[in-house]
Amino acid sequence: MSREINAVALSGAALLGLAALAVRPRSIGGAVTPRRVRRRIPAGTIDPSAAVRSARSMNRAAGVIATAVLADSAVEHYRGSFHNKAMVLPLVTAALSLVVSAHGNADRRPAAHHVRDGVYTTAALTGLIGTCFHIFNISKKPGGFSWQNLFYSAPIGAPAALTLSGMMGFLAERVRDTTPGLAPTIGGISAGRAVAAATSVGLLGTVAEAGLLHFRGAYHDPFMYLPVTIPPLAAVLMGHAASGRTNRARPVTRFLLRLTAALGFAGAGFHAMGVARNMGGWRNWSQNVLSGPPIPAPPSFTGLALAGLAALGLMEDHPDD
Amino acid sequence: MTDRYPGYDVLNKRWSESWNEPTREVIDRRLAVPRGPRFFTATEWVTLGAVCDRIMPQPKDRPPVPLAAYVDQKITDGSLDGYRYAQMPPQGEAWQRGLAALDQSVNEAHGCAFHELSSERQDALLHRMQQGDLVGEAWGGMPCKLFFNHRVIPDIVHAYYAHPTAWNELGFGGPASPRGYVRMGLDRSDPWEAVEAKPGEDIQRTKRRNDRVG
Amino acid sequence: MIVSVDPFSAPRAANGRAPDVFNRGGWVPMHQFGENDVVDFVVVGTGAGGGPLVARLAETGFSVIGFDAGPYFRPLEDFASDEREQEKLYWTDERIVDGANPITMGGKNSGKAVGGSTVHFAMVSLRFRPEWFKSRSALGYGADWPLDWKEMWQYYTKAEKALSIAGPVTYPWGPKRPRYPYRAHELNGAAELLARGAEAMGMKWTATPLATVSAPHGQSPPCVYRGFCRFGCSTNAKQSQLVTFIPRALQAGAEIRDLAMVGSIETGPDGRATGVHYHREGRWHFQKARNVVVAGYAVETPRLLLASANGRHPDGLANSSGLVGKNLMTQSNQAVFGTMASEVRWYKGPPSLAITEHWNYDDRKDFAGGYCWMAQGPLPVEWANIQTSSRGLWGQPLRDAMQSYNHQVGLKMVGEMLPNEANRVTLADEKDQYGLRIARVTYSWGENDKALIQHALGQMQTSLEAVGANDIFRQEDDTNHLAGTARMGDDPTRSVVNSDCRTWDIPNLWVCDGSVFPTTGGVNPSLTITSIALRTADRIRTLAARGEL
Repeated sequence: MSREINAVALSGAALLGLAALAVRPRSIGGAVTPRRVRRRIPAGTIDPSAAVRSARSMNRAAGVIATAVLADSAVEHYRGSFHNKAMVLPLVTAALSLVVSAHGNADRRPAAHHVRDGVYTTAALTGLIGTCFHIFNISKKPGGFSWQNLFYSAPIGAPAALTLSGMMGFLAERVRDTTPGLAPTIGGISAGRAVAAATSVGLLGTVAEAGLLHFRGAYHDPFMYLPVTIPPLAAVLMGHAASGRTNRARPVTRFLLRLTAALGFAGAGFHAMGVARNMGGWRNWSQNVLSGPPIPAPPSFTGLALAGLAALGLMEDHPDD
Repeated sequence: MTDRYPGYDVLNKRWSESWNEPTREVIDRRLAVPRGPRFFTATEWVTLGAVCDRIMPQPKDRPPVPLAAYVDQKITDGSLDGYRYAQMPPQGEAWQRGLAALDQSVNEAHGCAFHELSSERQDALLHRMQQGDLVGEAWGGMPCKLFFNHRVIPDIVHAYYAHPTAWNELGFGGPASPRGYVRMGLDRSDPWEAVEAKPGEDIQRTKRRNDRVG
Repeated sequence: MIVSVDPFSAPRAANGRAPDVFNRGGWVPMHQFGENDVVDFVVVGTGAGGGPLVARLAETGFSVIGFDAGPYFRPLEDFASDEREQEKLYWTDERIVDGANPITMGGKNSGKAVGGSTVHFAMVSLRFRPEWFKSRSALGYGADWPLDWKEMWQYYTKAEKALSIAGPVTYPWGPKRPRYPYRAHELNGAAELLARGAEAMGMKWTATPLATVSAPHGQSPPCVYRGFCRFGCSTNAKQSQLVTFIPRALQAGAEIRDLAMVGSIETGPDGRATGVHYHREGRWHFQKARNVVVAGYAVETPRLLLASANGRHPDGLANSSGLVGKNLMTQSNQAVFGTMASEVRWYKGPPSLAITEHWNYDDRKDFAGGYCWMAQGPLPVEWANIQTSSRGLWGQPLRDAMQSYNHQVGLKMVGEMLPNEANRVTLADEKDQYGLRIARVTYSWGENDKALIQHALGQMQTSLEAVGANDIFRQEDDTNHLAGTARMGDDPTRSVVNSDCRTWDIPNLWVCDGSVFPTTGGVNPSLTITSIALRTADRIRTLAARGEL
């Protein structure tokens, strides 16, 4: 009984912490220069260092997602006994993404780095290939694309996180690669809008994955509704930002993104509690860490939220309307 | 018969998360079964031992599972099955009658006791019992086929497969609480399960892997 | 380490408290009635039928005592991972079995514990096909139930919710039902093989709805797939009566009396029940009651009713129809087994994670009744038993055959057997440890039963062949669940109880367990028994409010 009370108390504290973090006007991720008090950049002028700042924060976002993918795919593929040798690839590419993201975070030069580019592209492609493998894995099982197989076969959305990480990193390099004095663009579109759109899609995909697995868990704990309520709002608002006016403050969108970022960490905490409350708790780690709720999965939300915040910054720094 | 799971021992998991305290106590009691007869007489005990050796022949290269002791213990402890065929007496009486009748059949045919026969002759007699062909007053109306199928076979065979030695032979995961299993699919196993020796694979390698199971 | 006092040595539900099954060494308060109190309801048996009734009657506000001959287990402390040891969950006291096809008792169908057989059952929780409630009128065999399937459909929902059934998002057969409270479990290798076999035969299959949780529920952690389900769940993921309705009963003020064997029901000058004689702590006691419910399942219920014969009821209680003990039905439980090249290791997870009910809903058969089949996962002793009894193996050939243990696959049926008055429970002359006459269980398969079995064996064999199994063999002789010996009906001359489970002869005597089934259907009975109990509780509340109790 006291275990129940502890769980509720911790959950409540986590929720309060979430709210507090979200309200406090400070960007998460340890930016070197505090970004608060958003400077209104007069139309027509370009701040040359703003692009690099945005790129570095996107490197960080890519790094956070890569860390989540590395840990999650390691545990899950270990659970899958690495029965297919290719299952080491996401570990390798996610690890490399993590390394180059740290490199990118430290790099203040306004130029894309070809090694980073290469790693990010490889990561993105590996994620796509992984998605194909996972779809194939599901389709081979009796029942094909059934709820049963979506629940228990290779998770269809997981490799996409690797693709998102690679894509964010790739976009970071494109933002960084802007000719000084020009606004960053990607494929002709303003970089801010492109990243905002990618963030929105990424969030929705992650919501779907979390929603599916929480459905498998029968939403047995009301807090399991958090990842399917808050991030979708953030995603919708990011979509609105991507297609709307750049020259406006978006405090609600920022708030929801920060809340989503905090949710990523809270989710890891909740999942750790979930492992602890399974039979045998942490002592039975050899079973519960593998079959219990995946502790490294929720921080994907954090990485995506960071990318979203960087996108908002880009759109404000380089208005295009 | 080759060892399919060389080096695997469920007892190695005794202190792992796969065993709990009630299980340890139970298996300890199982392994500490009293070795001498408490219900059977000396003569019955010898015949019973010989029957056990034929029903579940055991390899000579490891300590034998004391099957006769388990049969005796079931009766001494009064562990019942929950049902009894109408023509069968209670288990203790059934065994005594059956063993005596068996020895009497042997005596009439060969002038000796069951345990003194060759294994081939013992097997032949047990097959006849299984077919229902052994008759005589000593059976006291108990059909020998029922005695074979509902006492001889289950009491001896279950005792064997309730023993950790048999679990090792089968590669059975053994006790599992609080830790159960994660990988339940075809051709998948957890690190705490037995490793099967595959044809063409090095036996020593499999043994080393089974040593690490815990 | 809290040392648990042996649950067999002395009652645990005593001194104002009962074991808290969720916390080692823990207790929950239990209201106790005095020696001379008259309670509203005595319920004999706390299993699938008795458990929900004790809880719901207490929640309604009646004073209730649930008696059980068995011990009050603490799953976390008393249950070992061992087949032999855990036989302590079964009714191992002897019954005499005879007839052309004597029934195997013990762990196949008889539990002895607070929580009854649900402490050891395989958790398969299926609804009846609606037409079965009108087997005679709709399908032309057996007998009609005096129950409406639509009403039962609501009670199935309540039972599934109370037992947190983990089932598939959509169920392939029968009318729509609400979503199961928890999602189905992952299939193990054995279940996957059932699925592939069914698909090869063009049949639907599904993950089995099971009474064990796939995510945390209250103080139950999710299943750890240890595979000892039928030997007691030491995880407490299994939603037996012991961890569901019994705790609810205690909370609502009911008393549970463990290690209490009811020997006879007393009746008064007006023929009504006045209470029960029960044996506890070495001597006989008497508990006065305004109503007595017998919920001892299909052997103990008629045994008690017959044993309670007296001057006013010379043929046993509630037996004016002569049907108490008659129309005993079991269910065919034959199987087909084979060997795979892959490792199956069927000892992981609940034994029956997948099922097909195809032949419960397809009427293109030349026999009456239906059956389902499910995946299997026998542990070593049970597997040895199957090999010896099905194939007559012993000696070195047995040891050799057993070596393939980790490569075995199997499909086992649950098949409908038809009622026949010659199949019955009577009293033998032999007496048990309480000095009570033991039950004699007489059973013979009918021609329809045999035809159904052969059809099923053929189908299951085809399924195994379709997945590439070798060394296929059949287990031709096995049965399991029981029913029928206190049949429900709407004619007092042709039944023992009415649709409210109230006996026709004695208005304050009720039967609430599988004995009331007029037909047995082709699915495991526990969910139906619990649903009937929930309905009976509601009916009692209604009747009480109308002063008709």
